[in-house]
Amino acid sequence: MEKFRTKVKRRIVISSGMALVALVLGFYSIYSLITLDSSAATHSDSFVAGFQFGLIISIGVLAVIDIIKLSLTINDETKLRVLYNKEHDERLITIRNKAGAPMIIITSVLMIIAAIIAGYFNIIVFYTLVIAVAAQLSVSAMVKLYCMKTM
Amino acid sequence: MKTRIKELRKERKLSQEELALEVGTTRQTITSIEVGKYTASLVLAYKIAHYFGLAIEEVFDFSDVNEF
Repeated sequence: MEKFRTKVKRRIVISSGMALVALVLGFYSIYSLITLDSSAATHSDSFVAGFQFGLIISIGVLAVIDIIKLSLTINDETKLRVLYNKEHDERLITIRNKAGAPMIIITSVLMIIAAIIAGYFNIIVFYTLVIAVAAQLSVSAMVKLYCMKTM
Repeated sequence: MKTRIKELRKERKLSQEELALEVGTTRQTITSIEVGKYTASLVLAYKIAHYFGLAIEEVFDFSDVNEF
């Protein structure tokens, strides 16, 4: 369990780093939105910038929630054991695998990054990639729900 | 697959959460095994049987498997 405790501590550090990066990027996005030349900027430019800002804020909020949750867990032996069991539970691992994890998550993150980059050149590609990510995550969530009910 | 987990739990006045914590799984998995929705792996079956101080075949009913 000590090994897992170290792993959780490392996760807190990673989440703190992510929250910090999100904070810096968030401020930069706000600065960019304020200084955006509204006469020269197209609707798609501001839309992509807004999407990027929303994504950064979401990552920041999720990282902070993760830090709070893990900090509360690390000091409680029972909670730590429950978390360990949840992460190593064979049934949940099977369900996650059936739902496409971890490849769905990896491809979704890569597609979102690609969408943001592509959004500055072609808004159609941006919409296509975002819709594709939403579709694959929805299918994965549905499969997961179905497996949770039947397994 | 039929099991005696529920019966053994009741005998020992043990909740699903407590058993799950002891054998390194989740309450939902214990529920699924008890109702026959999920078949435990050999390792988990061994852990459960070992916890109750019994052999695997005394906890899990393998008569369905023998039919094949």
